[in-house]
Amino acid sequence: MKCKRCKKTAAVALPSHNTAFCPECYLIFFARQIERAIHVQKMFTHDDTLLVAISGGKDSLAITWQLAKLGYNVTGLHLDLGIGESSVKARQTTEDFCSAYNIPLQIVEFAEQGLAIPEVKQKIRRPICSVCGQLKRHFFNKIAIEGGFTTLVTGHNLDDEVARLFSNTLAWDQAYLQSQGPVLPAEQGFAKKVKPLYTVSEFETANLCFLAGIHYGYHPCPFSRGASFTSYKALFNQLEELQPGRKRCFYQKFLEQGRPHFQNSREINRELHPCPLCGFPTSTPEATPCGVCRIRELMRS
Amino acid sequence: MVIVTLEPENTSVTFPKINSVLQLLNRLQRKSTGVLVIRNGKLLTPDCKILHNDNIIVRDVTSRG
Repeated sequence: MKCKRCKKTAAVALPSHNTAFCPECYLIFFARQIERAIHVQKMFTHDDTLLVAISGGKDSLAITWQLAKLGYNVTGLHLDLGIGESSVKARQTTEDFCSAYNIPLQIVEFAEQGLAIPEVKQKIRRPICSVCGQLKRHFFNKIAIEGGFTTLVTGHNLDDEVARLFSNTLAWDQAYLQSQGPVLPAEQGFAKKVKPLYTVSEFETANLCFLAGIHYGYHPCPFSRGASFTSYKALFNQLEELQPGRKRCFYQKFLEQGRPHFQNSREINRELHPCPLCGFPTSTPEATPCGVCRIRELMRS
Repeated sequence: MVIVTLEPENTSVTFPKINSVLQLLNRLQRKSTGVLVIRNGKLLTPDCKILHNDNIIVRDVTSRG
């Protein structure tokens, strides 16, 4: 197989793009995909200060590396969830990466906040992945707002977005279908959030990490077994094998033709007000603490 | 003999003979866009030939939470 650009021996074959690249040209191809996503979706400019959520996995490391290489002003944020060996390895990978590439890094320790996930799991009856996600979103937003960052960047890739879209479609959840997309604008106490990897599959970020020499390790969360998104990803990977490019088409067509139909959904027009305890926006009834503050109270009790 | 290391499990399997990456992936029941196939620190595409005595790494790229 030959590289589409230079005709050298290819290292990466991409059936979804019906093409292949040598190592050097793949790095160019990847960078251009990210630049195009940033430009088309008007995500940010070189004047913005970017806070990048880094889990230590391949996607967050890949986007941090790429944005830094493109000259953007990036700072990393790692949430140490306190989940035993998994969190220790993830934090070490993140610290090593940021140190190697001179990227400033902020770390929030959930244990220090009284919110170590294994302890939260013991006290809360809701699915832990849902609670963990809620806590992570809170701290991403809090650090972005308090730190004066103009944009919060996450490493959600095409596979993540397609799995989420499929889940929202199965439930015909109008509010979520209305708000799903690669850019969530800043509003009412929420920082602007963007996903520059939304056109890129995790196969592509894995190739990027390998060719760029980024070590991302392997530290799966022990609580995520049986997560529905994992099975949706497997379903779509089967479909992608039969119909290369179907994932990207499904998501792009949703953005272009599906999402506009949900823009006037009543459900999303919920009223937000500041939480009486932490001050961050919440949709809970007036004078009632937000979900995160209620979790804090429960953990203290 | 072709020795194949499966990551992240870090287990090994051997095959008396494998002709190509595609054949290897079929034997392992892996998808070409679900793994990196690595030989001597270099990535291989599905059409690449696999030689006798090759050491191959097959690295799963699917995130698991």
